[in-house]
Amino acid sequence: MSGADAKPVKKKMSKSERREHYWGLTFVAPPFIGFLIFMAFPIVFAFVASLTRWNGINNMMDNFVGLQNYIELLQDGRFWKVLLNTVIYMIGIPLGMILGLVIAVGMNRKIAGIKILRTMYYIPVISSLVAVAILWMWVFNYDYGLLNSIIKAISGQHGPNWLGDEVWVKVSMIIFMTWKGLGTSIILYLSGLQSIPRDYYEAAKIDGASGWKLFRHITMPLVSPVTFYLLITGLIGGFQVFVEVLVMVPNGGLNYSAATVVFYLYNQAFDNRQMGYGSAMAFLLAIIIFIITAINFKGQDKWVKTVD
Amino acid sequence: MKIKRLTALGLVTVVTASTALAACGGGGSASADGKKTLTVFLYMNEQEQEIYKNMIEQFKEAHSDTIADIDLQVTTQSEYNTTLTGMMTAGDLPDVFYVGPESVQDFAEAGYIENIQPYLDEMGVSTDDFMQDILSSYRFDGTSTGSGDLYALPKDASVFAYAYNKDMFDEAGLEYPDPNDPYTYDEFVDVCKQLTKDTNGDGEIDQWGCGMANIYMLYQFVWSNGASFLSDDYRTVTIDTPEFKDALQKYVDLTLVHKVTPTVEQDASLGVYQRWLAGQQAFYACGTWDVAAFMDEETFPYNWDLCAYPTLETGKTVTWLGTVGYCVSATSENKAEAVELINYLSADADGQREVSGITTGESIQIPNLVSMAEGEFKDAVADGTVNYPSNVDVIFNYMNGTDIYEGRFQEATYTPNSEWIDLFFEGLDNVKNGTVTVDDYIADVLPDMQDSLDQAWADADANAAATAESAAE
Repeated sequence: MSGADAKPVKKKMSKSERREHYWGLTFVAPPFIGFLIFMAFPIVFAFVASLTRWNGINNMMDNFVGLQNYIELLQDGRFWKVLLNTVIYMIGIPLGMILGLVIAVGMNRKIAGIKILRTMYYIPVISSLVAVAILWMWVFNYDYGLLNSIIKAISGQHGPNWLGDEVWVKVSMIIFMTWKGLGTSIILYLSGLQSIPRDYYEAAKIDGASGWKLFRHITMPLVSPVTFYLLITGLIGGFQVFVEVLVMVPNGGLNYSAATVVFYLYNQAFDNRQMGYGSAMAFLLAIIIFIITAINFKGQDKWVKTVD
Repeated sequence: MKIKRLTALGLVTVVTASTALAACGGGGSASADGKKTLTVFLYMNEQEQEIYKNMIEQFKEAHSDTIADIDLQVTTQSEYNTTLTGMMTAGDLPDVFYVGPESVQDFAEAGYIENIQPYLDEMGVSTDDFMQDILSSYRFDGTSTGSGDLYALPKDASVFAYAYNKDMFDEAGLEYPDPNDPYTYDEFVDVCKQLTKDTNGDGEIDQWGCGMANIYMLYQFVWSNGASFLSDDYRTVTIDTPEFKDALQKYVDLTLVHKVTPTVEQDASLGVYQRWLAGQQAFYACGTWDVAAFMDEETFPYNWDLCAYPTLETGKTVTWLGTVGYCVSATSENKAEAVELINYLSADADGQREVSGITTGESIQIPNLVSMAEGEFKDAVADGTVNYPSNVDVIFNYMNGTDIYEGRFQEATYTPNSEWIDLFFEGLDNVKNGTVTVDDYIADVLPDMQDSLDQAWADADANAAATAESAAE
């Protein structure tokens, strides 16, 4: 519709049309107002705060410092350390996707009790993150934990100090996050698998393809949209990991070995009263996530297939 | 989707703050009949809540002619600061809330808390019966805390004393520690060694002489050795002095060399506090707030008593004191009533009898009033009305100071934030388990601590300058 056409139409809007517009706006208004209050305003607020040495109680604009927080942040060894920790935790993303796909393929058939099995895998997803994190603290306990009891029973050796060691704490967190996210990948992969037409497999079988080849050339490409979705959400969520660290290693771990970016951000903002610095960190993190997500979307043409 | 995610993330801090604001509406107000509604925001454990709710109820009844209602909101200690920061940001403070000595200056300068001295003077309230050292920490003269007008009244004064399990001493046939003659470090190690053993014969140690929680118990060694974390002006980190290194060495040697504490790994399995409750350690700390719990047979089924921390070079036993105070919002519309309320909560004789256990038997703090603490309270301890260990003088010695006892606030009380000290404790377990030496650790961590402290002071100084400037305009 060109502008010239639209103008007279707008003027001659009938009563019913106007009512329609009115209702349309009414329905759009709540989320829009919600966005303004809970998203737009805080973003602007946080951005302004990130240019100051606001500590939560002083006058924000009296302590305006421009980009100083950002400059300091880039020179802050601890920021790079927690960023590295955060990235290391992301090892769990491909692990979770591979495991999820394998289990989904296994469950994509009619076997007795399949519904119970699917439900079981999904329970961690709907459970309270804090509750399961506390549970896993006990699983990881050095002397009394389930994991070390099993290790001792099998090998006779005492298992590692899961949450108290600088390296093992990362392994622990990766195990926990993989476990926690598994339900989602399974469910999504299952629905992806079920939307693949059976005749593709039959045709391929007639051509002599079997087992691995079917999986590699039919299943994998056709669930690639799911893989892409999981990758994107996994990466974004991965950069924001916070609660499990706060619950399982509340001090950030030995030498801050378990701390993530958001954990450090929270620490700076609320424990050390450096709200401005914390806000700057939040913005820098948002930029990092934005760039990574953009790269992902750019690259998706190369490997994401859709069934049409 | 993408945009939403991004925004959500950019806001972690602010959203948290705004949720907090939403949770706590309106400051004080007056209703149509001229009666006031006071809002109070505090953190408390359940035991305290019961007592304080009652007290507030009584205050309300006694002032029913002026006060319509008192809205008490209680949170946990860990949530408190976050929520309060949110309230401050929103400009929506309750009439009465807590302030620690470390925040008096910040809050007063930022205009959040009211100078309550004029109100107290007008009401004719005398503060002579408070412990003066504690009370002074709530004074602010416009440039620093410690003197000047009062900005808060203490809710409590606490002492982090030491305690021992009598049953273990009996079993080992050892003499009880003498509060009037604290152990030297060597004596302490010797006693601990005799109390560290394998009680069930499975070849593994399951009873220890002591257990040390780093962030609470290193101070005692450092200070008693004449060392400190910071210089007297609290701007320079002084952990590289020989006295400090020696104190730290002796502290970690308890675990590394003498092996009289659980190892770092064992501590990770079950914390030293739990091990004390489980009767696995002969010595552990006892804060004044712990007494009721330790006296409770179900929580702690052992005989125990208070004692002094071991002494190092100075020959003095030193521990840290704590306090939190009630303050009145500078924006409150009901300041006079609020001051009256906090004076009542802080100093009402009946209330103090309740919290100290003179009437209830269970003590969660010592009375704020010196005359009551030294008189009624001690008598009640002596005749068993209050469930209290008999060496109650240990508490008073630390609180008031003697030739051999001393109590002080932690250094972080006097610094703009406590990141510098958190940095120190972050990797300390590596020294405790022998991976890193004391010298290497200190050389490694000191620059970071100093950087953090410099930054904190630079911000505080800049803020003070900016505040002064805008005040002058």
